[in-house]
Amino acid sequence: MGASFALAGISGCNRQPAKEIVPFTNPPEAGLGREGLYYASAYSREGYARGILVEAHSGRPTKIEGNPNHPESLGATDAETQASVLSLYDPDRSQTPMHGPSTATWIDFENDWAPRRTALAQAHGAGFAVLTEPTTSPTLLREIDALLQRWPEARWYQHTALARYDDDGTQTDYDFENADIIVSFDADFLIAHPAALRYSRKFVQRRRRENNNAGPNRLYVAEPTLTLTGAIADARLALAPTEIADLIEQLDRAFGLGTDDAAPASAGRSAPHGSQRDAFIQALARDLKAHAPRVALVSSNTLHSESRTVLHDLHHRLGALGVAVKESPAVRSDSDARARGDLHALVDAIEAGEVSTLFILETNPVYASNRGRFAEALIRVKHAVHLGTRRDETAHRCHWHLPASHYLESWGDLRAFEGTASIVQPLVEPLYQTRNAAQILRLVTGLPAKSDYDMVRETWSRNAASSFDEDWRDWLDQGVVPNAVASRIIPQRRVASATTTAPRASTLAASETKTMFALFRLDPNIGAGEGSNNPWLQELPKPFTHLVWDNAALLSTATAQHLSLENGDVAEFVAADASLHAPIWIVAGQSDNCVILPLGYGRTAAGSVGNNHGFDAFAFAPPDGAQQLALREIRKTGKKHPLVSTHGHSEMEGRDLARVISVDTKATEPAGETEMSLYPDVHYTSYAWGMSIDLTSCTGCNACVIACQAENNIPTVGKEQVSREREMHWIRIDRYISETPNGTRVVHQPVPCMHCEHAPCELVCPVAATVHSSEGLNEMVYNRCVGTRYCSNNCPYKVRRFNFLDFREPAGSTVYLQKNPNVSIRDRGVMEKCTYCVQRINAGRIRAERENRTVRDGEILTACQQVCPTEAIVFGDLSDPQSKVSRRKREPGDYALLAELNTRPRTTYLPKQINPPSALPV
Amino acid sequence: MQLSNACTHGTVQSDDANEPEVRHKPLFSGRATTIMRVAIAGLALFVCAVAYATYEYYNSPYWNAVGMAVDQPVLFSHRHHAGELQIDCRYCHTTVENAAFAGMPSTHTCMTCHSQIFTHTKMLQPVVFSAERNAPLHWNRVNNLPDHVYFNHSIHVAKGVSCTTCHGPIDQMALTAKGQPLTMRWCLDCHRNPSPELRAHNIEINHLTNCTTCHH
Repeated sequence: MGASFALAGISGCNRQPAKEIVPFTNPPEAGLGREGLYYASAYSREGYARGILVEAHSGRPTKIEGNPNHPESLGATDAETQASVLSLYDPDRSQTPMHGPSTATWIDFENDWAPRRTALAQAHGAGFAVLTEPTTSPTLLREIDALLQRWPEARWYQHTALARYDDDGTQTDYDFENADIIVSFDADFLIAHPAALRYSRKFVQRRRRENNNAGPNRLYVAEPTLTLTGAIADARLALAPTEIADLIEQLDRAFGLGTDDAAPASAGRSAPHGSQRDAFIQALARDLKAHAPRVALVSSNTLHSESRTVLHDLHHRLGALGVAVKESPAVRSDSDARARGDLHALVDAIEAGEVSTLFILETNPVYASNRGRFAEALIRVKHAVHLGTRRDETAHRCHWHLPASHYLESWGDLRAFEGTASIVQPLVEPLYQTRNAAQILRLVTGLPAKSDYDMVRETWSRNAASSFDEDWRDWLDQGVVPNAVASRIIPQRRVASATTTAPRASTLAASETKTMFALFRLDPNIGAGEGSNNPWLQELPKPFTHLVWDNAALLSTATAQHLSLENGDVAEFVAADASLHAPIWIVAGQSDNCVILPLGYGRTAAGSVGNNHGFDAFAFAPPDGAQQLALREIRKTGKKHPLVSTHGHSEMEGRDLARVISVDTKATEPAGETEMSLYPDVHYTSYAWGMSIDLTSCTGCNACVIACQAENNIPTVGKEQVSREREMHWIRIDRYISETPNGTRVVHQPVPCMHCEHAPCELVCPVAATVHSSEGLNEMVYNRCVGTRYCSNNCPYKVRRFNFLDFREPAGSTVYLQKNPNVSIRDRGVMEKCTYCVQRINAGRIRAERENRTVRDGEILTACQQVCPTEAIVFGDLSDPQSKVSRRKREPGDYALLAELNTRPRTTYLPKQINPPSALPV
Repeated sequence: MQLSNACTHGTVQSDDANEPEVRHKPLFSGRATTIMRVAIAGLALFVCAVAYATYEYYNSPYWNAVGMAVDQPVLFSHRHHAGELQIDCRYCHTTVENAAFAGMPSTHTCMTCHSQIFTHTKMLQPVVFSAERNAPLHWNRVNNLPDHVYFNHSIHVAKGVSCTTCHGPIDQMALTAKGQPLTMRWCLDCHRNPSPELRAHNIEINHLTNCTTCHH
C-alpha cells in the first residue's frame, strides 16, 4: 500500500504526460477539426423512416437529433431513436461470421454457400425461404424482387413482433390539426406509432394556450391499461378489450340508427362503472355530433377486426375522411403480394417439408414469437442462416450467423409512415466485418456483389433525371427525397392477396366479460427485445411504474387487493395450457378484468446487459399469435422478486406541485412581488438563462431523459445501485396520479435542476464547488468537488446526483466512442447535475461573438428542449423580453416549484390545461 | 541571595539560610529565549518559504516546460516558415478562426510546397514517407491543457488575442517550445483583465471568470 501511495504521489507531481497529435495525411471533404458536424440520415422505427441529423465528432457519431425537414420528425426524436447511437458501440455486437459455435470468415461462408446455391439454382429456388421484417426500403424490396425473379420457387416471409399499422394494405393516417374531438380505442398514438412525433406535435399544438386559435381539442380514451396517450386524455375509461368492442358497437348504434340518445344501449348492463361509462359515451356521442366532421377515431391492431371496420364506417358517416382522417395504401410491406405470409405460414411450410434452406435477416423469431413454436420448427430446417447485429437466440439455433451492419455504418433507404422517402446515410465505415440485408440477398443468388452505396444509388438512379448526382447530394443534405421523385422510383403497391394474413381475430365472445385476460403488450422502453442490450433504455424508468431493468405483470388495485398481492409478489398466472410465474406491480387506471404482461424481457442471448432480466411473456403468449389470453387463475406463490422503481409515491399530499387547470378557468397571474431574502442579491448585466416547462404539452415520453444522458455523458448504474437511489439521470419525470370522475388523471412533470437565484446548494458547499455564474447559472465544478454531499442534502428539488462509485465503463471500451467530447466524464466521489447544457451555451455564445452579435433567441437549444416532440421545454434568455422563454413566463399561470421556499428558480412551469367534457364534472 | 537569578535560571532555592549558597549551572543560557524566538520564526518562515517555493516552482516556466523544445518526428522550424518565409499561421493551422482546435496541417498541406522543394532532402523523408504510405505523422504535443479544460482558439483569435500572446515568439523558434506556462493562474490573469493583451478592446468580461467558461 505504501508503494501505491508513493507511486500515486510521484505520478501526481509529474509533469504533464506526453501526448501526440496525429493529423490526417489527406484532409476529409468536411474539413479539419471542425466540431459538431451534422449529417442527415434516417432511423428505422419499426421499418418506417424517422428523419434524423447525426452529430459527429472526429468522424464518430455521438448524438442524434431530429431532422426539422422530415415530416415524421419535425426536429424531434424519441427515446428509442436517441438510444440507437449507443447500440452502434455495443461491445456485444457480432464482429465476425459464426459457423455453429466457432468463428469464421466471410470467405468461409461464401465457400460453404456456393455448392448449396448451385443446387438451389437448379431447382429454381425450391425449398429456399427468406424471412425478413416488414420493410419500407425500396432497395431491400428491389433485392427481394430480384431474388424471387431469379428463383421463382423461392419464398419470402415476413415477421414482426411489433404492431401492424394497416388493414389489408390500407393504412389510416390522422391530421390532428383538423380534429376537434379525438377518440382513442386502445391506441397509444402519441407514443407507440411510427407517426407518433408528428401526432404529438399536432395534437399538443391544439391544446396550448399560446396558439389557441381553433380552440382546444378534446381527447377521449378507452383502454385496458394506462398508456401515455390515456394519461393526457380529458376523459378516460379503463375497459377490458371486450368492453371496448361493446363501446364501439354502442357508438355505431348511436350514429347508425339516427337516434339522438346513445344511453339506452348500456342501460341493462350491470357494469361496475356503469354510470361513469354512460356519462362518457353520452358526452362522446354529443361531442362527435357537434364537431363532425372534425373528428378522429383512432384504433390500433389490438382491436377486433370487426370493431375496426365499424370505426372505419363511422369515419365515413361522420364525414371525417379527408378532414382529419386519411386512408392511403400501406407504406410498409406487411401486405405485399410477393410475400407468402407471416411466421405462422413459414412454420406451416417448414412442417410440410417445403423449406430446407432458410435465411433469417435481421429479425429474432426464436425469441420474439409466441410460445417457441418457431424454435421447434427451425430444427427441421436443414440449413439455416441468420443475419443480425447480435448473436441472439435465433443466431444460436442457426447453422451460420452473419454479423449485420448498424444503420449508422451502412447505406440504405426507408420511407416514413406518410410516404416520404429518405436515404439512410452512414457516418462511419463498418466497425467490424459486417454487411447488410440487401448485400446478403445478392450473395444468396450469386448476383455480383455490390457495395451498399452502389445498390442504393442504383435504386434511385432508375428513371432519374439527368441531374441525378446533384439531386443525390441534395437528398443527402436535406434528409428527404422530394415526393415527385420518389413516386417515379417506388412502384405502386400490389395489394394483398388471400395468402397474406389478416390481423388475427381474437377468440373472445362478448359474454366472456368477467373472465380475466392476460394482455401482451410491448415493453414501453425496449419493445419486443430490440432495446434489451441498451443500458440507457434498461435504466429508463418506465411510464407510471417507473420500474427499471425489469418487467412486471401489471394489475389493477382492486385485482391485487382481491388476491392480496403486493408490489413485487410473484404470482402464478394459469391459462388452459400454460402457466407463468411473474412478479406483479399495481398500477392505477387499469381495467379490473385484465393483467398486462410486457414482452421483451427474459432474454437469454441479448448480450451482457440484457440477459436474465425479467420474465419472458412470449413463452406464455398463445401460439396462434393473438395478443390476449384467457386466464383460469392467478395464484399467489408467496415468493418475492426485488423490483426496483425510481418513484414510489404518486400523490402530491395536498401540495400544489404539478398544477392542473381547466381551459375555461382563468389562470392565476404570475406573482409579481418577490419576498425578502437573506441571500445576497446578484445583479445581472448580460444574458440571464432560464427555462419554462409547459405541463400541458408534456406527454411523459421520456425522450428528454435519454437525450440528456447522450449529451452529457451520464452513466448507467445498474439495478442494484438504482435500488439504493443512486441513479444518475439529470432530468427525471415525476408523475402524479389521481382519480377523478373523468377517469384516472396523470400529470407528468419533468424536473431538471431549477438553477435557483437563491440556491440553497451554493451556500453549504465548503469548497465552493457549486457557485453562481454571472448569467444566473448554478455551476457545478467537478474538479473542486470533494464529495461532502451537503449540496444535495440542501437541495429541495433533489436534482443533484452523486457518483457513489466509479460508474465509468472500463478503459478501452468501445462505448467511449459515443461520449460527447465537450463534457467532462465524472469520476467517483463527484456531485453532478443539470447544467442547462452549458457546453451548448458556450458554443452558441462563441459562435455569436465570432460574428460580432448577440445570441439569437432559439439559437441555443438544450438537449431536452431539442428532442421534445411537443416543444414542452423552452430555454432562452430572460433578459430579452421578446424571447420565447420570456413570453412563456408571462403567460398566466406560470409558477415556480416549491415557490414558498423562496429559492427563485430560473426554471418555472406552466400548468397542465385540461378540457373535460361539460357533461361530466371536472 | 539572588532571588531573581534563581528563579530565572531554575536553581533550587535552599530554605536554610546558613547553608552555603549552591550555584547550579543554568539550564538555558541567557540567549535561549532569543534563539527560540528566532528559531520559531525561522521555522515558520522556512515552512512558508518551502510552500511558496513549491507553489512558484509548480507555476514556474521551468516546471511547466516553457522554452523546452519537444522532440518531433520532423525537424520543423517555425522560425523558417513563419519568421523568414512569412507564411501566415492560418495557412497550416486552418481552423484557428472557426473551431476550438487550431488544426494541425495534414501531410497534404506540407506537400503543397514540398512536393516541389526539398523533396529529396533527408530532413523531409518522414513527410514524404507519410504521403507515400498514407501513414499520418505523429507529432508530439507542445501545448497541452488538462482534459477538464475546454479551450477554444476561435473566440480568442476573434477577440484580438495574438497568437504570440500565448505561444510566445513562435516566429523565432527554430524548434518549437511552449511560450507560456498555461497554468490556471496564468489564464485567469488575462481573463480578469484582458485589455493589455488584446488588439481590440470591445469585450464583455463578466462571464470570463465563470467556472463554466472553461470547465464543463
